Amino acid sequence: MADLNKETIKKLTQLCRIDCTEEECDAILVDLQKIVEYIEQLQEIDTTDVPPCNHVLEMVNVMRDDEVGGLLDREAFLANAPSHIGGMIKVPPVLKTQEKEV
Amino acid sequence: MYQLSAIELRDAFLKGKYSAVEIVKYYLNRISTYDNQIGAFLQVYEEKALQQAEKLDKKKQNNEKLGKLAGIPFAIKDNILIADELTTCASRFLTNYRAPYNATAIKLLLEEDAILIGKTNMDEFAMGSSTENSALQKTHNPWNLKCTPGGSSGGSAAAVAGRLCPIALGSDTGGSTRQPASFCGVVGYKPTYGRVSRYGLVAFGSSLDQIGPLAISSADVALVMEVIGRNCPHDSTSIQSGPEEYLSDFKPSMQGLKIGVPWKFLKKLADEPKKAFESGIEKAKALGAEIVEVDLDILNSSVAVYYILATAEASTNLARFDGIRYGQRSTRAHNLDEVYDFSKEEGFGPEVKRRILLGTYVLSAGYQDAYYRKAQKVRTLIIKSYQKAFSQCDLIATPVTPFAAFEIGSIKDPLQMYLEDIYSIGINLAGLPAVSFPNQLTQEGKKPLGFQLIGPQMQDRLVLNMAHILEKELPFNYAIPELVKEKTHD
Repeated sequence: MADLNKETIKKLTQLCRIDCTEEECDAILVDLQKIVEYIEQLQEIDTTDVPPCNHVLEMVNVMRDDEVGGLLDREAFLANAPSHIGGMIKVPPVLKTQEKEV
Repeated sequence: MYQLSAIELRDAFLKGKYSAVEIVKYYLNRISTYDNQIGAFLQVYEEKALQQAEKLDKKKQNNEKLGKLAGIPFAIKDNILIADELTTCASRFLTNYRAPYNATAIKLLLEEDAILIGKTNMDEFAMGSSTENSALQKTHNPWNLKCTPGGSSGGSAAAVAGRLCPIALGSDTGGSTRQPASFCGVVGYKPTYGRVSRYGLVAFGSSLDQIGPLAISSADVALVMEVIGRNCPHDSTSIQSGPEEYLSDFKPSMQGLKIGVPWKFLKKLADEPKKAFESGIEKAKALGAEIVEVDLDILNSSVAVYYILATAEASTNLARFDGIRYGQRSTRAHNLDEVYDFSKEEGFGPEVKRRILLGTYVLSAGYQDAYYRKAQKVRTLIIKSYQKAFSQCDLIATPVTPFAAFEIGSIKDPLQMYLEDIYSIGINLAGLPAVSFPNQLTQEGKKPLGFQLIGPQMQDRLVLNMAHILEKELPFNYAIPELVKEKTHD
């Protein structure tokens, strides 16, 4: 909590790949500080020997036969792609990426 | 026609009182009359709904077997996929996204001859409690246009409250069908986790999300649950059980039912909502229910647990919106990193960004144990508290929200907005079924206040059955906002 500062917010925006302006970072910092301060209350609850809940249902592994099911055809899938060429999704150059400092 | 519940409307269609085309034209007309003030709909399927209606009328003329939902127009929250139609999640990111397939819930509705009339507004990616986080438009509460309809299924709730359609689907991650239902004076349902398939529902918090109906009555909700509440092979968290009959197995009375009330947890409730809740409890007593006190004090920590777990899951789920395969890609991007950075920057609104960042924070190295792990453990304690409570009673009753609908723009602090969910959120954390139904109007401002019944997992039918009995006896009595009442006889 104590180290939730502007640097943390910058690091978080890099981790989740959302470019944020300085002003946005400032606003988010204020909100997050308040929210994190609020969720700190959980530390007061004794959870010794309490198992973490991963799921609310008694889960069983769902198995099925290894058969090809209803797949989207390529055209239907590509209809939503921002850019495509020759049946493949087109993206800007990957290898020429200028690495940002992390 | 607008006063009719979904079941009454279907029966009128089956008896030949109205044709499906008449029904659809009637509701399309109401949408064009009132929705410019309410703003519930993002898309209205004028042509498609009429085509569906014509087909249905032919089917009826040919004496073909008609489905359980024949002739009922449905509005659908815009995070549920309808094949070939836009699914925007009220986000700039998905403004042009057309669903390539039907959600299981949609497929099941269509198989029973439901008519899809349009898509409704919501908080962006279902993140919010007022529908103010929609990037596309504002939705107003039909009871008071200055107020929000609640959220995140605010468009669906406002559409039903305004009788722009008799029934709608929403989704509920922390109260998102029940809270707007409460604000708008309609019934909102959150099924047992896993009861309704999440296939084709855009994921927000996967361990919490459920699709649920919003309707005029609990019986209408039960009818839809008979159709959509079944196992689905496309959702591995779908409960392995067949469909259930609800309505035909409804018990006629509340006699012998034990209702637990967590009085201590509710002690901070303001005067008017408290009195309204207490009079609802008295009514249940008069109908034969026995009231016992249960201890759910642990729910004071439910908002904190929820905003750790839901944001953690959201940060993971929303990583897929990267501008590569679908959705908006930033035109400013010249390399791959910029595609991610700029597309997300431009595509997401402030609340979505805030939640992704918070979720990333609670999952990041060094904090995962302190926040995420800790919240998972307290979630276990919450589940255990409910289990203990349900060993003493059949259902639990609470209010839905601490207050009636608030004005648009009046809550600016995100944390204050989160705290609005205090009575609805624990239910999602424990995967329980719960229904919100209208209790009464506030003295001042005439705004609806809701009443909530909560059941143990899998007791969906009991929850809706008892709501069905109690709702009819409450002062609200299926009231309709003045704004949308027709002056002449229909």
